[in-house]
Amino acid sequence: MKKTFYLLFMLLLVTACKKQLAISSSAKVTNYLVVDGNISVGDSTFITLSRTVNLDSGARSKPELNAVVTVKGSAGENYSLVSKNNGQYVCAPLNLSLSEKYGLEIVSSDGKKYQSDFVPVKNAPAIDSIPYVAKGNGLQISVDAHDATNNTKYYRWDYIETFNIRTAFESKYIVIDPNSGPPSDIGLRTSQQQIYNCWISDTSSNIITNSSAKLLKDVINESPVINIPSTSEKLHIRYSILLKQYALTSDAFDYYELLKKNTEQIGGVFDAQPSQVTGNIHCLSNPAEPVIGFVTAGTVAQKRIFIDNSNVPAGWAAITPYTGCELHTLLYKRLVVSSNPNIPDMTINEIYNLIYSGSEIPVDLAAGGYTSSNSACVDCTLRGTNKKPSFWN
Amino acid sequence: MKKIYFTFILFFAVKLLHAQVSKNISVNFQQATIEQFTGELETKSGYHIYYDHAQFDSLKITLQVNNQPLESVLSQAFHNTTYHYALFESKMQVFLTRDKEIRTQPAAGYFNVKPGQTQPVAPSQVIDFTTAPVKAPVIESTIENKLYEVGIKTNQLKAGKASVSGYVKSAKSGVGIAGAGLYVANSGVGVTTDQFGYYTLSLPRGKQLLIVKGVGMKDARRQVMLYNDGDLNIELQDQVTTLKEVKISADKVANVRSTEMAVSRLDIKSIKQVPAVFGEADVLRIVLTLPGVQSVGEATTGFNVRGGAADQNLILLDDKTIYNPAHFFGFFSAFNPDIVKGIELYKSTIPEKFGGRLSSVLEVTDREGNKKNFAGSAGIGLLTSRLNVEGPIVKDKTSFIFGGRTSYSDWLLKLLPEEYKHSHASFYDFNLDISHQIDKDNNIYLTTYLSKDNFRLNSDTTYNYSNKNANIKWKHNFNSRLYSLITVGYDGYKYDISSSANPVNAYKLKFGINQTNFKTDFTYYLNRNNTLDFGLSAIYYKLNPGTETPNSASSLIVPDKVDDEQGLESALYLGDKFDVTPDFSISAGIRYSMFNYLGAQTVRTYAPGLPRTPLNVLDSTAYSGGKVIKTYTRPEIRVSARYNITDDLSLKASYNTLAQYIHLLSNTTAISPIDIYKLSDPNIKPQYGSQVSFGVFKNAAQNTIETSVEVYYKHIDNYLDYKSGAKLVLSHAIEQEVLNTQGKAYGVELSIKKTTGKLNGWINYTYSRTFLKQDDPTAGQLINGGAYYPANYDKPHSFNFTGNYRITHRYSVSLDVTYSTGRPITLPIAKYYSNGAERVFYSDRNEYRIPDYFRSDFSINIYGNHKVHQKFHNSWTVGVYNLTGRQNAYSTFYQQQGGAINSYQLSIFARPIPFINYNIRF
Repeated sequence: MKKTFYLLFMLLLVTACKKQLAISSSAKVTNYLVVDGNISVGDSTFITLSRTVNLDSGARSKPELNAVVTVKGSAGENYSLVSKNNGQYVCAPLNLSLSEKYGLEIVSSDGKKYQSDFVPVKNAPAIDSIPYVAKGNGLQISVDAHDATNNTKYYRWDYIETFNIRTAFESKYIVIDPNSGPPSDIGLRTSQQQIYNCWISDTSSNIITNSSAKLLKDVINESPVINIPSTSEKLHIRYSILLKQYALTSDAFDYYELLKKNTEQIGGVFDAQPSQVTGNIHCLSNPAEPVIGFVTAGTVAQKRIFIDNSNVPAGWAAITPYTGCELHTLLYKRLVVSSNPNIPDMTINEIYNLIYSGSEIPVDLAAGGYTSSNSACVDCTLRGTNKKPSFWN
Repeated sequence: MKKIYFTFILFFAVKLLHAQVSKNISVNFQQATIEQFTGELETKSGYHIYYDHAQFDSLKITLQVNNQPLESVLSQAFHNTTYHYALFESKMQVFLTRDKEIRTQPAAGYFNVKPGQTQPVAPSQVIDFTTAPVKAPVIESTIENKLYEVGIKTNQLKAGKASVSGYVKSAKSGVGIAGAGLYVANSGVGVTTDQFGYYTLSLPRGKQLLIVKGVGMKDARRQVMLYNDGDLNIELQDQVTTLKEVKISADKVANVRSTEMAVSRLDIKSIKQVPAVFGEADVLRIVLTLPGVQSVGEATTGFNVRGGAADQNLILLDDKTIYNPAHFFGFFSAFNPDIVKGIELYKSTIPEKFGGRLSSVLEVTDREGNKKNFAGSAGIGLLTSRLNVEGPIVKDKTSFIFGGRTSYSDWLLKLLPEEYKHSHASFYDFNLDISHQIDKDNNIYLTTYLSKDNFRLNSDTTYNYSNKNANIKWKHNFNSRLYSLITVGYDGYKYDISSSANPVNAYKLKFGINQTNFKTDFTYYLNRNNTLDFGLSAIYYKLNPGTETPNSASSLIVPDKVDDEQGLESALYLGDKFDVTPDFSISAGIRYSMFNYLGAQTVRTYAPGLPRTPLNVLDSTAYSGGKVIKTYTRPEIRVSARYNITDDLSLKASYNTLAQYIHLLSNTTAISPIDIYKLSDPNIKPQYGSQVSFGVFKNAAQNTIETSVEVYYKHIDNYLDYKSGAKLVLSHAIEQEVLNTQGKAYGVELSIKKTTGKLNGWINYTYSRTFLKQDDPTAGQLINGGAYYPANYDKPHSFNFTGNYRITHRYSVSLDVTYSTGRPITLPIAKYYSNGAERVFYSDRNEYRIPDYFRSDFSINIYGNHKVHQKFHNSWTVGVYNLTGRQNAYSTFYQQQGGAINSYQLSIFARPIPFINYNIRF
């Protein structure tokens, strides 16, 4: 729907225009509690507590430290969570009962008490497959799932994607000791020191939901997860996605849908107007105080796939940040001849000036010196990690 | 045809006369025409009688004479009239004249002959005209300087008043002219013709001068000698030489004289000269230039009148209710500008014959087909083309008019990026109207309308929507004081959305509205001071609020259907226009409306005082088909009054109450073609509105400049707003998704119009506020804590200038300037991090505003030559929409992209848009 209406604007002789504005400061200072997380079954539970911040704030959020967080069961059992001092509260895998309901109790550092509604444990069925298909200008990755017992109906997904990058030039050499002079000033890189091959990971930022409530069977067929543009660097070498699937109650599903509408599908002519999102957490100390977040409980199903560059259409060319990178040749002794007879000829040590100082990174040996390029063209650790992830094969 | 002489008659007078004995004759005339009269006299007397037929065609002679000379017969026939005779015995000739007397003798003393022979003799035996049952034929009046005699002619004028009625028509096409004003010179008496061009006017008997002013027509005068009740059709000449005459109101004096307040009439000529975005005249967008009319933005034809919601406007095309008056999701209006004659927008004084919507009635009237000749026109634009053909089926009796439009926008879609390239968008609409005159008292009109829009995004989702309307009207004149109009019609609107991109989820969603109407309207001219309107109407609704079905064999979609809704809305009304004195008149009416919500339906009962949620359902009752589930009744009051302080200054006041039983459910900013309609039911009360307004109207410079100031206050009850996150599509218990709110609106509207001259146009300024409030604690949630908050279309300041300057008869330029305060929007007050991205938190509704709106449009109209008898007339319109290219905000919003919150402004027509349009008329 959203797309359709966007097209309408395109259609109007491309007369429509979407312009980014500077974010102005909030008219009102707020400090509302934000609760994010799922009470996991069979895995560690992570609950993140934070506070709302001003719209123009540089910080994404303000972590809520020193709170006391407890998972409570409807049968009366309590499980305490441990603060990780960054607003995260953790506990080891809980063995929760499917016949019970669970909720969160939070006592904030300022002594206010918050309580979530008790929610049933919804266990996510397995992900059947993660199909992908090249469509137009991108690779559409989707998800197939089903629940033979017809109990899930409402699904949510998030993902961690990881992809391989390679820099413009593979640096084989590294500065070891600038004081020792050649040849021991620069040596071969070990495999731990390699900065050519890296991995970048990212998490989903959009809310991805779908429902089979209208269908005869509890089936999710090719529900869109992510569309990767054909020019994306993600598909340049190898890409992997770890998809996590959550089962939701219908209330939780409505909450996520509204949150999506309010923050992602907004501003178009036929988009719904923004509205207040009410979660399932309440401030007991001050019922009028808004609390943001929706507590869910259940198992998470996950599945990983890999997509190699050979799996995408041959014509797709990635746009990397390495276009325009140049390889230079730097010498220990570069003779500089001046055209001005009053200035005598000079010999310059380029290795000393450029490589020791770190402004260039040596790539390979050259006669009388090294080839080199600047760090943005050579050092992949500026963008990712050179430690190969354990799941990468 | 008799020979015509007279000016040089006096020369004969000197050649008098050798005496001849006249033979005596006997005649018996009953309502004889001049031909019968002169024919018999010529036969019997042997005289030749000469006269000008045009002067005598309205004369009827009733006379019985036994054995008297010809001169005595003539004398009795013309006694006490403006007719004269001159008898020349020598030549055996009689000359009949009107007004001027031919003297058969030179002036006294000229020949020293004593006058006396031609002195009229006193009448002997006159039969009273009233005993004659014969009805005078309808007089077709076309000439200004002729005296038309209306009613059965009498030799002696009776005292008191008589009524004259008939049609005001175009001399060229024979089509009735609606909204034309007829005024009696030197008196406060005046009427306006109805939608068919029919009028009735009550006047003192005797000689009267009628002034007739029709939109797009030359002003005309008719001299009338009113003897008795009679018919007078008036043909007006089209204004061919003055091409770009702006006529905003039907009549110049009407602004001050009529009791109506806040009625805007625009004829198609004025509409066409306002620059439109794609060059094609837009009947609906012009409404937005009128005072007191707002919209939420440019991509919508939904409009808000005096603080009312967009669904509170009744949009009628020749009495057919058009539910979706827009094409292309709102970028074109659904009305073909070549067929439309004009529009009328009632904002405050809503006549009692209209009902069912709270804010306004927008009447769009199609032209009647040309009754005399075949004609047509065609227009070519960048995205659409149109054709219209009209002509007589039976000359002067039956005519048709056909109009069609279609679009060809796919070329434009091809210019789009790959992912949108394979989309498709198209629409068409057709109008076919037939009018037939059975006899002078009976007319039948058939009007039909069909439109269809189709829109497909690549091969994904397809949208279709369609209007289908037809009605038959029968107009019957019982006599010159009473006439009736009976209308039977069907209005349908349906839309569907389908997708088969994903075989498992392939679906088709269908919605529809069907209404069958029956309406009778009577107008009775009780006497000179009172005109009564009365009638009854009934609308039977059948709504399909949503059906979802699988759209392919492999689809797993479970068919779902929200139960059809049925309802009957009926009304009885009576109104009187009472002229207390020529300077003071009152229109008072009452409309008693009733709504029955009918089965089959299942209705839920909720625990009293508790929010309407699934938990609070007490009971659910199934009603069988045809059963009356709930009845709402409402007396609606429509009162307005006008007092003339001077001839060109008047005060007006009005009070109206209205009820609305059908609701449009939409939680998007703009009215969207896939919004859902809902009838009032036991859980959803009808909307009630009341408005009081007051105005001062002043005309200046011989009524060429009209000014007015109007203030109003309006209150609305039970307006529907939506709970946060309401799900309206396929909701089986929609009352759980909506909230009742009340609204209030007030404002002042200033308007100046110049209606004639090389420079004409209008300037409007409006200050208005509209607030809504939701303070019912049982609704479950309160918007803004139950305080008043501004509605989406609350734009306090609004200014509009629309002007046209005629450089020559072949070139004119138009400029349109619009300014308004930005509309209110809801902005977030904080951000937070959740689910992998920054999110925003919204608080109070509509607390902020988008930047102010400003736009100017310019166009040049170029016409071919104006030779009236040329086969083809062509014209070009070239212009630029949004001349300054200002990026007016449609909305500003915060959107999460790539994990971070950004603020954006969306503009719809963000740059100057040139347009060109070619029109040809044949």
